[in-house]
Amino acid sequence: MKPKVAFFDFTSCEGCQLEVLNFEQEVLQLLNLLEIVNFRELMTERSDDYDIAIIDGAISTDADVARIKEIRERASILITIGACSSLGGVNCLKNAYPMEEVLSVVYGDAAGYYNTIPARPVSAVVPVDYALPQCPVNKAEFLEVVKALLLGKKPEIPNYPVCAECKMAENACVFDLGRTCLGPVTRAGCNALCVTWGRHCWGCRGLVDDPNVDAATDVLKEHGLTAEDIVNKFRIYTAWTGGSE
Amino acid sequence: MEDKVISKADFSSMVDRLIQEGEYDSIEGVKTKDGKYFFGSLTNSGELCLDYDVTLLPPKKYFLPQRETVITFRQGERPAPEPVAEASSVVLIGVHPYDLKAMELCEAVYSAPPADPNLMIRKSKTVVIGVDCLNPNPQSFSASMGFATTESGYDLMLTDIGDSYVVSVGTDRGADLLARYGRAADATATNLARRDEVREMSLGRYEKSLSMPADEIPAILNETWDSRVFAEKSEVCLSCGSCVMVCPTCVCFDVEDTVALSLDSGERYRKWDSCMLTDFAKVATGENFREDRESRFRHRMHRKGKYLLERYDKPGCVGCGRCGLACLVDIALPADTYNLLKEAS
Ligand code: SF4
Ligand code: SF4
Ligand code: SF4
Ligand code: SF4
Ligand code: SF4
Repeated sequence: MKPKVAFFDFTSCEGCQLEVLNFEQEVLQLLNLLEIVNFRELMTERSDDYDIAIIDGAISTDADVARIKEIRERASILITIGACSSLGGVNCLKNAYPMEEVLSVVYGDAAGYYNTIPARPVSAVVPVDYALPQCPVNKAEFLEVVKALLLGKKPEIPNYPVCAECKMAENACVFDLGRTCLGPVTRAGCNALCVTWGRHCWGCRGLVDDPNVDAATDVLKEHGLTAEDIVNKFRIYTAWTGGSE
Repeated sequence: MEDKVISKADFSSMVDRLIQEGEYDSIEGVKTKDGKYFFGSLTNSGELCLDYDVTLLPPKKYFLPQRETVITFRQGERPAPEPVAEASSVVLIGVHPYDLKAMELCEAVYSAPPADPNLMIRKSKTVVIGVDCLNPNPQSFSASMGFATTESGYDLMLTDIGDSYVVSVGTDRGADLLARYGRAADATATNLARRDEVREMSLGRYEKSLSMPADEIPAILNETWDSRVFAEKSEVCLSCGSCVMVCPTCVCFDVEDTVALSLDSGERYRKWDSCMLTDFAKVATGENFREDRESRFRHRMHRKGKYLLERYDKPGCVGCGRCGLACLVDIALPADTYNLLKEAS
């Protein structure tokens, strides 16, 4: 029996679902191994019978909280894909403001019809089996995790900083080029994608388990950032500090 | 062996001929990007920089690639694992003496039983043309390690004496390559005197040095296990592993399996690992033998200054300075720590 897989989206740009739909080469092979029973971007039929739930998007309304709890109860394995569902991601930027203000900025006069709560990762509401951060989700990593689960192996998600991969890619360090970078505290697994392509790391894979944030902050200061710049830099993807279930 | 001399123009022609004739699968040399240097494939001699200070990664990557498949297998009752050891023929141009010494260490490590064929096969198919380092980078202390120059580890060794290179011939293979591709003459006494002079001058350009003879390092490490130096320096360590990833003498790798999406075949590969990463010494039960930054930092200093030397009779650090250049918090250079330990002991 092929495992039944359902995709669900919460507060997100849907970039992660589109990224999964981009698996042109792999999609047919994947369908040999899995049965997809729910994927809003791909199909209209729905089913509530599934083994693996794959979630993108952050939790940001009371209805989201109820819905994710229901999904967790039905799924034996729950995987979050992308920065939004795994870390809270850019959605958490709003948490710095009162929720009423956020509602009125977004919905104006109609604000009264909507509900919102501080945005949070899925793991802040229900236990998550595997979190695959990155904005958007890393296709290669997603496929490795799917294969590992099918083989009954424990998927490996790196727990070391992007710098290690950046060095292996033989990039010049952007600090040496007069710019700044969150690579020293950000979880690797992307092969230092952004540095390799000429930019710097924004931290979209979240922090490693034991980041030396104080030392990284000093490095950023030495390279000309103010305390405020640094807070803003860290906030883009890792504003959620409320912990997890 | 003998010493030759070749004009710079003739050396460039030699490189171009090597590229054009295609006898070797690739001609690799030092190139530049973002104001830094790296070893890469040459398409013409104009790309080659021989007056560089240091490359981002050492040429070790040609012998121990960042990621390499070591076994392929099929799933099922007969998994049929096949070892993979492939190598193409390469001429590698512009390796500095410290990197040659580092490769000798890697070879000693990988040829010790159980010998690892992959590195040795690649080594045997690579002709190495070294070049003396006359402009050391600001973190280099390779002169203190005795590796400003080397008498071994190369097929040919160049020294820039102005308009031409003195070419020290290290092996028959080197002599043969030079005879077939280069227009070299016998070096004169004046050429050799000039070579000794430029080498001597380069020694004055090292900004970092050991405050003790290199052979005292193991004894100093033996006496200072509990020194506060380790705790103080490592407090700001980012556990980023950069110091290890750029090191020419680091030899550790991790092994992983991956399967195709069909789930019926796969490969086992190895990739560089680093003892400065938090989970390096974590084992299956979840126990981590070097859980804190201090113990990882101390381990690396002992590994570079003592463990490898005791086991293989070759220094575990050649003083290239790459770790010092890569470390954002400026704690990684072994010479700095050894000097502090010496002061404290
Ligand atoms: S992680 Fe990025 S790509 Fe994915 S849904 Fe969120 S914002 Fe979009
Ligand atoms: S560019 Fe960024 S990720 Fe790369 S080594 Fe430098 S700090 Fe680390
Ligand atoms: S380099 Fe940084 S920002 Fe870019 S993909 Fe990797 S973790 Fe995300
Ligand atoms: S420890 Fe540092 S200085 Fe020594 S060989 Fe490695 S990178 Fe070079
Ligand atoms: S010593 Fe420096 S380069 Fe090495 S892991 Fe620590 S912070 Fe990174």
